[in-house]
Amino acid sequence: MKTIAVVFGGRSTEHDVSIVTALASIIKPLELSGQYQVEAMYITKDGTWYCDDKLKDISLFSSGAIKDWMLKAVPATVRFDGGMTLVKETSIGRKKLHKIDVVFPAMHGTYGEDGSLMGLLRMANMPFVGCDMESSVLSMDKVLAKLIAMAHGIPTSPMEFARKTEYERNPKDFADTCEKKLKYPLFVKPAHLGSSIGISRVTDRDQLDNALEVAFHYDDKVLVEQEIGNLIEVTLPILGNDNLTPALLERPTTKPEDFFDFDTKYMQGGKKGKGSSAKASQGYSELPAKLVPTLYKKAEAVGLAVYRALDCCGTARIDMLIDSKSNTVYFNEVNPLPGSLYAHNWNASGTSNVELVTKLIHLAEEHWQMLQQQNTVFSTSYLQQF
Amino acid sequence: MIPNIRVLYSLRKSSTTLAYMLQSSEYDLAQYFRWFWRTQDFSRIMYRRTLDATRVAQLLKLFLMVGMLLQILGGLLCIVLWHRGVLDGGGLFGLALILSYPVVWAHLVVAPLWLGRELILKPRQRRQISASARLFADHPAVKIAVAGSYGKTSMKELLNTVLSVGKRVAVTPANKNVAISHAQFAGSLKGDEEVLVIEYGEGQPGDVRRFTAVTNPSHGIITGLAPAHLDKYKTIQAAGEDIFSLADYLHGRNIYVNGEGAAIKPFLKKSYEMYGAHGALGWKVSDVKLSLEGTTFTLAKGKQRLVLKSGLLGMHNVGPLSLAVALAIELGLSLREVEKGIAATAPFEHRMQPYQLGAAWIIDDTYNGNLEGVRAGTELLALLTAKRKLYITPGLVDQGDETQTVHEAVGRYIAQAQPDVVVLMHNTVTRYIQSGLQMAHYAGEVRIEHEPLRFYQNLKHHVAAGDLVMMQNDWTDNYA
Repeated sequence: MKTIAVVFGGRSTEHDVSIVTALASIIKPLELSGQYQVEAMYITKDGTWYCDDKLKDISLFSSGAIKDWMLKAVPATVRFDGGMTLVKETSIGRKKLHKIDVVFPAMHGTYGEDGSLMGLLRMANMPFVGCDMESSVLSMDKVLAKLIAMAHGIPTSPMEFARKTEYERNPKDFADTCEKKLKYPLFVKPAHLGSSIGISRVTDRDQLDNALEVAFHYDDKVLVEQEIGNLIEVTLPILGNDNLTPALLERPTTKPEDFFDFDTKYMQGGKKGKGSSAKASQGYSELPAKLVPTLYKKAEAVGLAVYRALDCCGTARIDMLIDSKSNTVYFNEVNPLPGSLYAHNWNASGTSNVELVTKLIHLAEEHWQMLQQQNTVFSTSYLQQF
Repeated sequence: MIPNIRVLYSLRKSSTTLAYMLQSSEYDLAQYFRWFWRTQDFSRIMYRRTLDATRVAQLLKLFLMVGMLLQILGGLLCIVLWHRGVLDGGGLFGLALILSYPVVWAHLVVAPLWLGRELILKPRQRRQISASARLFADHPAVKIAVAGSYGKTSMKELLNTVLSVGKRVAVTPANKNVAISHAQFAGSLKGDEEVLVIEYGEGQPGDVRRFTAVTNPSHGIITGLAPAHLDKYKTIQAAGEDIFSLADYLHGRNIYVNGEGAAIKPFLKKSYEMYGAHGALGWKVSDVKLSLEGTTFTLAKGKQRLVLKSGLLGMHNVGPLSLAVALAIELGLSLREVEKGIAATAPFEHRMQPYQLGAAWIIDDTYNGNLEGVRAGTELLALLTAKRKLYITPGLVDQGDETQTVHEAVGRYIAQAQPDVVVLMHNTVTRYIQSGLQMAHYAGEVRIEHEPLRFYQNLKHHVAAGDLVMMQNDWTDNYA
């Protein structure tokens, strides 16, 4: 039986979301498949690694008992030479080595989904699920992702961007540029963050100035986008390496001005007060999106084109904006590690949770096999001249 | 293999476990002892359920804990006395007392049960049953007895739903279908009921004969014959003879028999009214349409014609529905009342009960416990359309000497339905089902599930939109 290490938590604003993704959408169905031994690897907010079966219980986190648990638990020792090996201590102090066959990253945001973890695993020559290092880095940088999309002829909303150093030299300049080249309403976004953290919609200069200050508090690069009129927002989860399988195009049903912030997306109450957990995250959508077939196909094609342009593999979710008057489909963002793997959408399209995770493991192994065929080391006579 | 009995050395855990084993065996001592002596791991006894804290269960627990404690103290006393030189051999004897207490009390616990049953319960029940015979004899209602290896509760509930539209009907509650339940049922009657429907739950040879003597039925329905309760009856022949004693009691009149199934054929007589997918009592079935919403069909007799829509699923319900219609009309209900009654029929809990799990459809037939039910379920699965079909079963309990034959047939029925995935809950009959699948050249995926409870509790992780799942049969802890 293969051993899968599910890595979650991490030094990220999306730390808590990652716990839910890992426990509910990955570890549980992997174990239910009966095909894998699953190791739960939790990285704390300060970067300490732990590995224990007790970490598979959501109540350990939701009750706050994790803090007491960590006081007694011994941090994990992980070796990355020639793969990934867990070094576990038995109750009598003996060390046992557990070789990991595949890593399943479940770390949203920084130091995980942004390519950091993928880089570490590439160095260790480990098979891992999901987008590789390059596509993760590009996908998590909204500016770079859009530039690549544009280079591939894929429409994106008009935007301007700036780095923190440039902005801090003269905040007025960048805001002036935005007002000159773009039209209100505008969206101000940190370039690297997910889950709608630090995002503001602005309709005048004062709001723009405030929003830029907030966004630069979270990130060293910020983009400002022009809002798309007659807006239909859709998102498309995709599975695959070379042969791609789209799930269902999904459309959020909130009004355009109620764009998602973290609360609406993840908190049970949402913006409008208390509600059932169904209102959080996956409970807000039209699935499949009710679009005329030609527009549906067009959006699907744009999503697939973006996936390929950014060299995504395993799975990713492509967010798009449709101007329903001109029927133009604009690429918006890529999410290389969708929250809860967007399993509800895959379920609706006919893929069960167990099937989804087992397919992702197979895709990871397939991608890794492909990488083994690359020759990255060869002999030279370069040193002989010294 | 040495059994894992560590849990029995905790007074609280062992008393709870042993009380649970007795309760799950329905205080059938033979079944309890068989279960005790074949158990390898006592820590996994309470896997599907926990002890139901009834008064009897709590008293048994207390009896066990006190008894075990006394034995431990007795053992310690022997050791102390031996140590003081007062009791030769007391050391070894005391140690033996301490080590043996779980096994000793697992047996001694039956003493109060047996005494209570023989000295108190049985005499009281005999009096109640005797009194109920008079109540039944004096009651003016039409008394319909329902017997058979399967489908009894469904038939009873069906009659209740349909006949209640135009008659005052009383039926034996839930699955309470033994002599004392009949007696309690008689005691609950007001006296103004027009129809009584009494379910006969045969458990051992002679049961049905005894029931008829007490309940004095005027009509009898035999729902079918299949291998069931063969641990008591031993053979289908013996089961059939007991079930058909109902027909003997009625002298072959007003007896309605489900003629489908090979096992019942040797017992059929010309005077019996047959019912089935063809119809009942001269009413002929046509235009049957099956879906997850239910069954629609037409019944015609002479110039009379009924187009009926029922919430019940499966071709196997057409026969009982037809009989319910025919009997209702014979008992005086109008055609309109009958249509209304049939329209009110809905799946009973865990009996071909459809529900949605996410976007997948599940048909829960886990209360089915016989081969004919498996046939009906697999036939329904074959008829319905779905993107992916799954069939889930642990197999059938209580098949006695027929276990291998029956489960090979189960495998063949499943293969004929051609599901994409078959999930078998691993137990003693799994290999026979697999053999049956192989014999029928089943080409789909077979999964063996070693943690049934975890599988059922997490079914939502295994299914998705477009899936149709047929779940049949149940395998309780006392058959582990």
